[in-house]
Amino acid sequence: MTQHCDDPVILNQWHPLSSFNEIVVGQKHRTVLLGRSLFYQQTAQGELFVWSCDNVSFVLPTKRAYGFLWTSLGIPPDELFAVGEIDEPDRQNVATGVFGVNVSFGRAIENFLDMGHFPFVHTGILGEEPHTEVKEYDVDVSESRDEIMATRCRFYQPQASLASEAGADVDYIFRVPHTNCALLYKSSPGYEAEGRMDVIYMFLQPMGPEWTRAHTGMCVIDVANSYESIRYFQQIIFGQDKSILENQFPKRLPLDSRAETPIRADKSAIAYRRWLAKKGLTYGVIPSI
Amino acid sequence: MKLYDYELSGNCYKVRLFLSILGLNFDTKPIDFYPGREHKSKALLSLNPLGQLPIFEDSDATFCGSDVILSYIAENYDKSGFWYPKKQRLSIDNWMRVADEITATASAARLHDTFFYDLDIETARAGAHRLFRILDEHLWFSEKRGDDWLVETPFPTIADISCFPYVALSEEGGISRMDFPAIRRWCDRVKRIDGFITMPGIFPTSKAA
Amino acid sequence: MKVDLSQWHPVASSSDLPLRHVYQGQLWGHELAIWRADDGHVNVWENRCLHRGVRLSIGLNEGSELRCLYHGWRYANRTAGCTYIPAHPADAPARTVCNNTYQCIEKYGLVWSAVAPERSFETPVTLTDTAPLTLRAIPINAPSDLVQKFATDYPYGMVTHKSDTSMTLQSGASELQLFFQPVDSGKTIIRGLLIPQPVDPIVALRHHNAMMTPLRDKIELAVSGLSPPRAIEVEFKPVAKDLAQMPNINTAGPKVEFRAKVAKKWITSQNVMAFRLEAFSEQFPTFQPGAHIDVSLPNGMLRQYSLTNGPGQTDHYTIGVKRDVASRGGSICLHDDVQEGDVIAISAPHNNFPLRRDAVKTILISGGIGITPLLSMAQALKAQGLPFELHIFVQTAADLAFPEILHDLDGLTKTYMGLSPRATRNVISGVLANYVAAQHVYICGPGVMLEAAREAAKKCGWPDEAVHFEYFKNSKEIDYKTTFEIALSRSALTLQVPAGKTILQILRENGIEVPSSCEQGACGTCLMTVIGGEPDHQDVYLSTKEKASNQKIITCVSRSKSNQLVLDI
Repeated sequence: MTQHCDDPVILNQWHPLSSFNEIVVGQKHRTVLLGRSLFYQQTAQGELFVWSCDNVSFVLPTKRAYGFLWTSLGIPPDELFAVGEIDEPDRQNVATGVFGVNVSFGRAIENFLDMGHFPFVHTGILGEEPHTEVKEYDVDVSESRDEIMATRCRFYQPQASLASEAGADVDYIFRVPHTNCALLYKSSPGYEAEGRMDVIYMFLQPMGPEWTRAHTGMCVIDVANSYESIRYFQQIIFGQDKSILENQFPKRLPLDSRAETPIRADKSAIAYRRWLAKKGLTYGVIPSI
Repeated sequence: MKLYDYELSGNCYKVRLFLSILGLNFDTKPIDFYPGREHKSKALLSLNPLGQLPIFEDSDATFCGSDVILSYIAENYDKSGFWYPKKQRLSIDNWMRVADEITATASAARLHDTFFYDLDIETARAGAHRLFRILDEHLWFSEKRGDDWLVETPFPTIADISCFPYVALSEEGGISRMDFPAIRRWCDRVKRIDGFITMPGIFPTSKAA
Repeated sequence: MKVDLSQWHPVASSSDLPLRHVYQGQLWGHELAIWRADDGHVNVWENRCLHRGVRLSIGLNEGSELRCLYHGWRYANRTAGCTYIPAHPADAPARTVCNNTYQCIEKYGLVWSAVAPERSFETPVTLTDTAPLTLRAIPINAPSDLVQKFATDYPYGMVTHKSDTSMTLQSGASELQLFFQPVDSGKTIIRGLLIPQPVDPIVALRHHNAMMTPLRDKIELAVSGLSPPRAIEVEFKPVAKDLAQMPNINTAGPKVEFRAKVAKKWITSQNVMAFRLEAFSEQFPTFQPGAHIDVSLPNGMLRQYSLTNGPGQTDHYTIGVKRDVASRGGSICLHDDVQEGDVIAISAPHNNFPLRRDAVKTILISGGIGITPLLSMAQALKAQGLPFELHIFVQTAADLAFPEILHDLDGLTKTYMGLSPRATRNVISGVLANYVAAQHVYICGPGVMLEAAREAAKKCGWPDEAVHFEYFKNSKEIDYKTTFEIALSRSALTLQVPAGKTILQILRENGIEVPSSCEQGACGTCLMTVIGGEPDHQDVYLSTKEKASNQKIITCVSRSKSNQLVLDI
């Protein structure tokens, strides 16, 4: 787990360390990012510090965004990707709690983008047999914004809302604005007419090339769903995905097109692999031959 | 009946699983075990001073500890008498001690790897490994005698319910079950018990032939 | 320690493979998913689904297929070929997606395999003519050469035989043979066989287990001070180039590249002859329900026949051929001239009639010999417990083909005998009434019945996408009298199609390879995309919607209404 990282593509980015919910003020916390052990702390005055465990004078930049403490081991861009919804005042941002998963961040992102597994891994919650079809959707890689968008995604959900017994197709939008962060947008119940969406986010902290700390959460408008039940739901979903992810080989995401067999439902995953390859990423992936 | 429950807890799952197999209805009070540490809150400490889950309430009595709860439910609600038969109680209780050891090792490893608990992972894994070897040997020879379960009975007992979850979740703590083929076959048999339900991290198996 | 991937080793005990279980093994660092199908066949596969790399050892052994836990892909017994991809229920897996397999053989209570064998399995000379007792396997966290060294001290008897991979110890008239399975660079499994079988096996099993335990502990203690060896790095084979790309429409051709032996020929009903075809040495490719094969007949003709096989029946192909005196002679040739023991050439299965497995209910309607593909579908649906009805229309009871399969489907079928065309139409209308979303109907039978069924489906509100039909022949009169031009957009060619010649023929005459099968507008194999012009559809394969879209054409019979057609080739 302490393999040294020398990949500038991933070093020169912001990475999440912890949700502020899980930081005890005044206490020194310890974690690992890209193979390096770090301390982080929030003082009573609200100042944030992140520094290397081996070298007290190696102090890292900090950023506060979307309810999380972010840092970088290199020279990150000025701004983190924008998620307008999270800052809206009438929303609840429910961080799920960080989980460890023994797989590379790339595999976890692909799992987040994938719908085909809903009836099999999240049976009765996000999908159900025989409604297994992944209908054709659109994928766009924006050069200017440097992100991937998958739109017109829809999948049959058994209990589409808490109010109904029947299942229905739910519309999703997926967005990957960062090598190890992804977002899912779905219609906010009660706000469909206004076109407002709830956001589910996954901000991954690569501890090692095959070890990830997964920070997930939901940013919703509707207060009817209590904080606890949202968190419960997210944890169940993540727990179900974790055991699949940990059984994938190789653990690093293979970027070569001949490593695995894609189907049309994997369009977003293929776009993600190509996007990473184009960036020249070498950490946590198996680059193309 | 009311269960103070955490969805990702193997110990709570033991109770949920047994209640489902017996076809019993019960109320659930979800507890924010992680990251909220609600089980250490004043309210819950007043119910269980040990600060652990599951906690079970029935007819004005409160029970703590999954093995105690399983025994209670079996004695009071199992009409068949198969799940905690009097003749095998000592043996079953022994296996529930083993289940505690499995919790102390395999579950601890899982807490470390998944929930970032600070504990000695190598000792936990080595301990689980040692226990699994014992369990695998026991199950292998039981199979040779024609027995499918931990205790020498034709039906599963709460011994099997008690040992199953943290064995089945062991890989989340980095403990592979590849060296324990008898354990893997026993897990399939447990998953085929009528009324079996899953929890995140435990998948169903195919239907028997 | 030298790694020799060509060596054969035992990788599991027979008793490790009860029905409906998947055993996780490993050899030289290569993980294996080992499972026994309901027909007894043992499969040793690479422990990795080629879709997204998830272990197959956590997959579900459903008896004739192994299902991956991640996306539910199904892989057939023996071939490891993918038979169904739930995310795209309307497509037969477009090409042969096949997991990597290893050779294996089950003998002496053990399953033997090799990662990269150079020779087929040779029974170790010490085991010939024996019926040993298989001991409990003992995994040891140490390399196999070290384990072997310590094993010479095993308290049993003298070492009488030693090889790279095994050791024999003699004690009086009994022998203990130890095989050292190299799991990885730092792990070995000792698999012992006791010859002959002792009087009290349980006592012997317990004894040796008790003796092996301290041996294991001793060996592990010996390596405990050392740093563990690096795990053997396993290279994953890249998938075939065509599989690595986004799939296109299936363009399987009529190549009859397999030699098949007619293993059995029998009369399955009045006028219908059944043939069981088996491969020689190679394994027949995977089929999916609804698939057909091209059969090259001794009289030079090429005919298509649907497979009736149920799921996992991958060691043969069974077809049913109706004797048709009015035909061009294909069926007569099969009935009269082809005998048991003959060798004929067949193609790999093609599937232009794939079965969706995501319907809330599937209705199967068959007329006469049209039952053949529907039998395969019915067996697949039944094996998965999916709801369906099979409606069989025949003239008389003597016309019911494959009664043994029908017997197994008892309760799920309804048979109608000797109905007039009108009565048939009424029954079909009744069956198709009350359409609900996500139902699907598959119809196969004489042209007249298909037309009636399609009309009835439309009247009852069935959408085009839910109605699937397969014509065995196109009984329409083809009008070959028109002349027109075809422009090939990607080849920059313009060709003339004169009266009396088909688009298919003209393309082939100009060196363009086009796959085909029935060549009468029924099977869909020669389908092409149209990007300009108005096709004159003369086929029976395309749906009404597809014909109206003017974007597809069946090149073996269809022509053009406009002066020019632009094809996307």
